[in-house]
Amino acid sequence: MMRDLSVFRALLRCYPAAFRDEYGNQMFLMFAEQLGEARRTGGPLETASLWGRAVWDTLTIAPKEHWHVTFQDIRFALRSMAARPGFAAIAILSLALGIGANTAIFSLWNGLMRAPLPMVPHPEQLVMLTDPAESGMWHGNATGERPWVTYAEFEQLRDQTTSFSAVMATESTLDRWQIRYRGSDWEQLHGRLVSGAFFQLLGVDPIIGRLFTPEADHVDSPVAVISYGYWQRRFGGRTDALGQTFTLRNASLTIIGVTPPGFIGETAGQEPDVWVPLRMQPLAIPGEDRLHESPPEKAMWLHEFGRLKDGATAARAEAEANSILKAGLQQFYGGVPEAERRSDTLDQFLKIRPAGIGASETRGGFSTSITALMAAVGLLLLIACANLANLLLARGASRKAEMALRLSLGASRGRLIRQLVTESLVLAVVGGLTGMSIGWLIHRALVRMILQSDEQFRIHFSLDPMVLAFTLAVTLAAGLLFGLLPAWQATRTDAGSALKEQSRGGGSMGRMRWTRSLVSLQLALSLPLLVCAGLLARTMYNLQHAELGYPTDRLWLVSVDSQVAGYNSQRSGILFRDLFDRIQRIPGVRTATFSYNGVFTGSSSSDEIQVDGYTPKTDKDRSSRWDMVGPRFFSALGVPLRLGRDILESDDATAKKVCVINEAFARKFFAGRNPLGSPVTLLAETHSGIVKTSYEVVGVARDYRTNSLRDAVRPGFYFPMTQPGDSVKRATYLIRTTAVNNGVLTGVRQAFQAVDPALPILSASTMEQQIAPWTAPNRATAQVAVAFGCIALALAAIGLYGVLSYNIARRRGEIAIRIALGAQPGGVIGMILRETSLLVLGGLVVGGGLTYAAARWIASELFGVAPQDPVVLTLAAVLLVTVALGAVFVPAWRASRVAPMEALRQE
Amino acid sequence: MREPKLESLLPLPTAVFHILIALADRDRHGYSIMQDVATRTDGKVHLSAGTLYSSIRRMLEQGLIEELSDSPDPSSTDERRRYYRLTRFGRRAAAAEVDRLNAMLKQAHASGLVPGA
Repeated sequence: MMRDLSVFRALLRCYPAAFRDEYGNQMFLMFAEQLGEARRTGGPLETASLWGRAVWDTLTIAPKEHWHVTFQDIRFALRSMAARPGFAAIAILSLALGIGANTAIFSLWNGLMRAPLPMVPHPEQLVMLTDPAESGMWHGNATGERPWVTYAEFEQLRDQTTSFSAVMATESTLDRWQIRYRGSDWEQLHGRLVSGAFFQLLGVDPIIGRLFTPEADHVDSPVAVISYGYWQRRFGGRTDALGQTFTLRNASLTIIGVTPPGFIGETAGQEPDVWVPLRMQPLAIPGEDRLHESPPEKAMWLHEFGRLKDGATAARAEAEANSILKAGLQQFYGGVPEAERRSDTLDQFLKIRPAGIGASETRGGFSTSITALMAAVGLLLLIACANLANLLLARGASRKAEMALRLSLGASRGRLIRQLVTESLVLAVVGGLTGMSIGWLIHRALVRMILQSDEQFRIHFSLDPMVLAFTLAVTLAAGLLFGLLPAWQATRTDAGSALKEQSRGGGSMGRMRWTRSLVSLQLALSLPLLVCAGLLARTMYNLQHAELGYPTDRLWLVSVDSQVAGYNSQRSGILFRDLFDRIQRIPGVRTATFSYNGVFTGSSSSDEIQVDGYTPKTDKDRSSRWDMVGPRFFSALGVPLRLGRDILESDDATAKKVCVINEAFARKFFAGRNPLGSPVTLLAETHSGIVKTSYEVVGVARDYRTNSLRDAVRPGFYFPMTQPGDSVKRATYLIRTTAVNNGVLTGVRQAFQAVDPALPILSASTMEQQIAPWTAPNRATAQVAVAFGCIALALAAIGLYGVLSYNIARRRGEIAIRIALGAQPGGVIGMILRETSLLVLGGLVVGGGLTYAAARWIASELFGVAPQDPVVLTLAAVLLVTVALGAVFVPAWRASRVAPMEALRQE
Repeated sequence: MREPKLESLLPLPTAVFHILIALADRDRHGYSIMQDVATRTDGKVHLSAGTLYSSIRRMLEQGLIEELSDSPDPSSTDERRRYYRLTRFGRRAAAAEVDRLNAMLKQAHASGLVPGA
């Protein structure tokens, strides 16, 4: 019997303490009587049924009672929040900012690093054999791991594989295409060439029309599939979009289908408007045949994807793909006579990677920034939580009498802690929900900022389970962790002394120590955020004012793609010269010139060169950048010549081939010798072997920047476009105007129209606009860091203000006595400021250490400013001290106005 | 305690109704309520301790019953027992529940679902 009863007592422990305290004994008594009676009269069956009911009660009634208590606590918490709206608002806002910033950054991280490709079933089966972080094209030969494959290599794998159920290839870059519907103007869209199995392999069905199939790899199919977004935007979702025909360079393509909403294809963060079969390349990108390869040069430009067959392992598939690649390479390079070179060319391999999250060039570039931002928002959340803890501590202290009263009336400490923790959880949940909306806003702002640097970047704020779980975890952790300590403190009391203390107005030293440490901690955590924000802001300023080597004011860049309009290399040269002559004559143009790559267009060219008297240490040591330029290029752009002369009108096809080199080139390849008059030989690999073209150096230009704001200027040499070293298919005009906004662009458009109405302007922008993408990632990071720094500062100030206000209110009596004894208001303020200074000093010392570590960590992101920059460090510290002292000044001033008699009467 | 609206309590849960009936003639402690219910239902309804005290907790909050500060039975030897009494509100609630059941019974007869009395 005794054992039975102790089992029942154990069952009773499943009920909430409050219920157990109230009814536990009664239930126990009743059960004991029922059990006794069952044994006396009923026998084992009756006893078993009694136990069955007791267990059933525990399973059904106990949870209901728990919910009842929680429900009461929540109602109580909401009522007490409504009773102190100021406290609730500050606590919720603190948390919402902390949680919101974390949700935003986390969902950005999740979207970039983890989210599977939308609308693609079984993404886990998807693998890619090329490097997802690389996009572009490489003409020539490669060694080691392959970032891309050639069309022929893709065909070999597609036709010979046994491990993949399907294989497809896609253009690694997303193209910006100029297209034209019959009777309409040129328009621009984003398009990608993909192999026939693209849609089938990704498992997508059309929303209207049909999609092209693997057949499109074998039969010319002048068709296009458009995205849902483009369909809505361009055709308003009308079904007559199907059958529409547009011109893309030499191709005339008919729209046959629309992909479902959300589908973006194989690359994360990019949303193509149109997909066209790879086989259309010679017409879509005329002037070169990328579908066939002939030794010695390969055109590597495709990403390769596959879906593993059931039962096939990635390792086996990789081995198979490599053996197919090797066989192809052996065949391709079989004719290379030099044994060493042949073995070099065979040292190439493909690496298999999961591709469920898709390819992404952006992913790698942003991962460092995102990690840094995650650390920053983590700090922010800690500061917000410290605020919550401090507010709850202060409020707990003011409710000490209430707690003591309830304890003395028989409430258990556990019950009170449960209620207080529920209150902080309710605050956290409301904060979390508000934080989610703030997170959405911050995320949108972040994406907009990233868009400035990568206009193709698209990522949506999705509340996928991972983001939701993260927010939930942060919310609950914040509520529990930072609710428990104050609850513990508030209920740690013996009833009598707390009631007495309340009437006396003293403060518990233990609790004050906690709140003061928390305030110091907040200040300590704010300092690294402020310093990093300052360093990044200076980096942004330095980048925006970086010395490019030429004046950037009133400089316009107009790019034109002659290939689009069907010009070959020779006709392009004549066209560009003609346009140049016309642009120079436009009123308002001070100087004009043009070059193949322009400046900060994202294009650059480099090749192997030979310079007499220079011996390269490695293969990479023999390459240099080059550009084809128009007459008087350097004087028009404003780049001073250190030696010799500029490229002139007279340097035409019939004249001697000449070039101008930059200082970096002279330093590296001539090393102190006079370069003027020496030849520089360009080695271009073509279908008919290596073609050598020599140019005589006629000038040395000062180093100027064309591709990077940070890196050292690389060696470069510049020859006339009239003496081309490669095929001419595009040009960028650099036009300096006499005044800002003087309508020159209209004149340029008219010039284009006059020369060839079918010639589209690829882009036209000012130098400031042109350079924006190079500074945008830094600008985005700096803006976010400054925003977070300000939030941290505001949170710390709120925390400090709250704690000091509370502290001073508690010391009214003491202050009143000081004033009654003759202390001056200034003296009282001074005393409080002195006490606060200690907190601030403590925060600065601890924060200093954190700052040192944080600044070193972001050192690689900085430009033109040292991680320990004294100006930034001093400014941040002064700002922190000023804000901290500002936050305590109001409570201190109020304390100095205490009327002694009134305060003492209240005591 | 503020009494809730009578209508919001209806229909009364079976256990609550049984407890109200048990307390109709006299004040009782928990075990006595359980025994009374068992007797009146020929042993068909056995209120378990959990169900009984969970219902009592709720009925106290709703003002259907009240707890007595002293034992009504001077001869009672066990001071640990707690006694409960029906309130006027509890009585009204029970009456309303009876009316509700009667109305339903009438409807069942009128519709021919069960033979009329």
